Amino acid sequence: MKLLDMTRKYGSATYEYPFAPYTVADGFRGKPEYDYDKCIGCTACGVACPSNAINVELNEAKDKLVWKFDCGRCIYCGRCDEVCPTNAVMLGSDFETAVKFNKEDLIETGELDVEYCQKCGKVFTTKRLIAYCVENFKKVGWSERVIEEKTKYITTCPECKKAESVELVSKHYSKGVKK
Amino acid sequence: MKKGENFINKLREKITIKDVSRMPEEQITVTVDRSDLPEAVRMLYYDMGGWLVTMIPNDERPLNGNYAVYYVLSMEGGKMTADDELSSDEKCWITVKAYIPANDPTYPSVTRLVPAAVWYEREAYDMLGLVAEGLPDPRRLVVSDDWPEGLYPMRKDSMEYNFRPDPYSHEEEPEYEFYHPEGEGLVDVPLGPLHITSDEPGHFRLYCEGDQIIDADYRLFYQHRGMEKLAENRMNYDQMGFLAERVCGICGYAHATACIEAAERAIDMEIPRRAQALRIINQEIERLHSHMLNIGLACEVTGNINAFMHIFRIREFSMELAQLISGGRKTYGNVVVGGMRRDVNGKEIRRGLELLDTMETQLKEVWEAVMEDDSQIERWKGVGVLDRQVARDFSPVGPNVRGSGFKRDTRYDHPFDFHDEIDFEVCYEEGGDVFARETVRYKELLQSISIIRQCFELMPSGDIVAPHNRKIVPQAYALANNEAPRGENIHWIMHGGSQKVYRWRCRAATYNNWPTLRYQFRGNTIADAALIVCSMDPCYSCTDRVTVVDVKSKKSKILTHKDLKRYSQTLKDSPLKGM
Repeated sequence: MKLLDMTRKYGSATYEYPFAPYTVADGFRGKPEYDYDKCIGCTACGVACPSNAINVELNEAKDKLVWKFDCGRCIYCGRCDEVCPTNAVMLGSDFETAVKFNKEDLIETGELDVEYCQKCGKVFTTKRLIAYCVENFKKVGWSERVIEEKTKYITTCPECKKAESVELVSKHYSKGVKK
Repeated sequence: MKKGENFINKLREKITIKDVSRMPEEQITVTVDRSDLPEAVRMLYYDMGGWLVTMIPNDERPLNGNYAVYYVLSMEGGKMTADDELSSDEKCWITVKAYIPANDPTYPSVTRLVPAAVWYEREAYDMLGLVAEGLPDPRRLVVSDDWPEGLYPMRKDSMEYNFRPDPYSHEEEPEYEFYHPEGEGLVDVPLGPLHITSDEPGHFRLYCEGDQIIDADYRLFYQHRGMEKLAENRMNYDQMGFLAERVCGICGYAHATACIEAAERAIDMEIPRRAQALRIINQEIERLHSHMLNIGLACEVTGNINAFMHIFRIREFSMELAQLISGGRKTYGNVVVGGMRRDVNGKEIRRGLELLDTMETQLKEVWEAVMEDDSQIERWKGVGVLDRQVARDFSPVGPNVRGSGFKRDTRYDHPFDFHDEIDFEVCYEEGGDVFARETVRYKELLQSISIIRQCFELMPSGDIVAPHNRKIVPQAYALANNEAPRGENIHWIMHGGSQKVYRWRCRAATYNNWPTLRYQFRGNTIADAALIVCSMDPCYSCTDRVTVVDVKSKKSKILTHKDLKRYSQTLKDSPLKGM
């Protein structure tokens, strides 16, 4: 009988959900939200993601960098949110992630323009990442000449940088190097 | 004298000890010859008051050309009587290690002397092909019945982690051999493959005479996911914690903490006090919702739907608390090597304390009401008794062992993290029946609330992540303990090269509880079978039908999930009538 009294005392405990929205606490870790305009294609989130929900890869034609998020794999840990330098990926409060019939609907993508190496012409990064770096160089207060030099440096692909360094070293220390 | 030295000296009297190492300080590894293994474990277990917490078979051929087995004992005293307990500065972990040559992978079975080792030795055969000579029960345990002979998944050279052997066709699939008791007129009741209360797979065979269970046998591990293999092949430490969380859907946080702490202890890494306190808060929140779930289900399975609904209503407050503190309804995704990822602020603490107060008052109300209900108590009392001697022999953990009057709690025996600053009582009850176990759970709920309050109050300010100044040392190993809602979880980690784990052994609480279940079934009616399994709070996943076979007349009958559930709730119109 006591239990019945309690039922009367506390009344209905059922939420109206899904007929009324369910409010979550502040700082709830929901579905990561992607802001395409802020994304610079640095791939930090892809590296950090423990469950491989986020993959950042070149498309088949190798002319776009594709940021791809598969919500079905996401474990809502928020590593992507932590590492993103521009807050392009942030955890939201959305927990209604079910899709109807088509698993493809779980996948979200964003295509970014790629930058080519100024030396060899191969794809190696995105236009936005270069622009982001240049913008930050300006904030540091370097002179025009330094910025130009640095910009040239960052628009060279790692392979060409290696070759350049080797060349530089062998020029100054030609004695021990066999030609 | 160093900690644990007295045990080693006693061992030396009878056994030649090849090597003693401490890594870390309170975890001692004693290397003995494989022929001395059973006697060494027996002496530590029965003569000196040890409990078997885990056994790790390890393929160390790439390191030293041998296999190795590690029997880990928690030295805490036999606890059969009130003063049969070691003092807190004597308590430690002792690991008995023996090498097993690669060309002769056999060792004498410890199970003959210490029954608690039975599952571990069966698993060691399945996973690594190490044969325990004289093991009373050499059937398969972990791998499925159609797994190819001679393929041992945990051997380093046996297979890729993503290799899937071809399945057998249904007709050719080998039968698992259940142990039948002898006797006339016994009815064989398979319960499963899915269990009624927990909705998880596990197949039980109940041997009944009329309604009484004479004996039971079971087949589990339908959900073996090969996590240990997965972790050592492709995961780094950033990912491992998140994988460990997925060991269980209820107490995953305790697994993550134990796994990460094992990695931390192996390299002697101290984490900030605030992070330690936060880990405990999350753990206790997990205990709150898990215990309420179990008490609720124990009411539901006996037909007390009203109490079940009330308890689940209160449980919702604990879910809200979890949301507040950890950002999700489950406390997942928070632990990393070196500390925690999410801090709490004053506003959250204030709201948290309010929730705790509400939970405490309402819980007391419901429990009082349930206790006044005689028909409920009757279904719980005297059912599924875990005998004290059986408990001592099989090293069960958690409310299961505490319900039989053992003061065994890893937070108290081997305090970790912030527990040294916190006052709490180990809740235990005499009786060993379902009633005792549920009472232990209720008392622990109140303790958890008090622990969370203390943590909120005593939590120092500061960082929540340790500075990055430690490197992983290959082959350093350690074990970490953690009191999950179901009992202690033990994780053992041996580090490997290139930021990966060499061997990860995860022992969930229920692993130690299953072997005693058979003894708990005996003498009860089949209507109580579901309740007994439920009161153990097992971690596995339930089916919709039960087949009943009459051994004598070879008649069989399929009971639906509904039939059995109705029978266990109402106790009327036995579905076995007319067989």
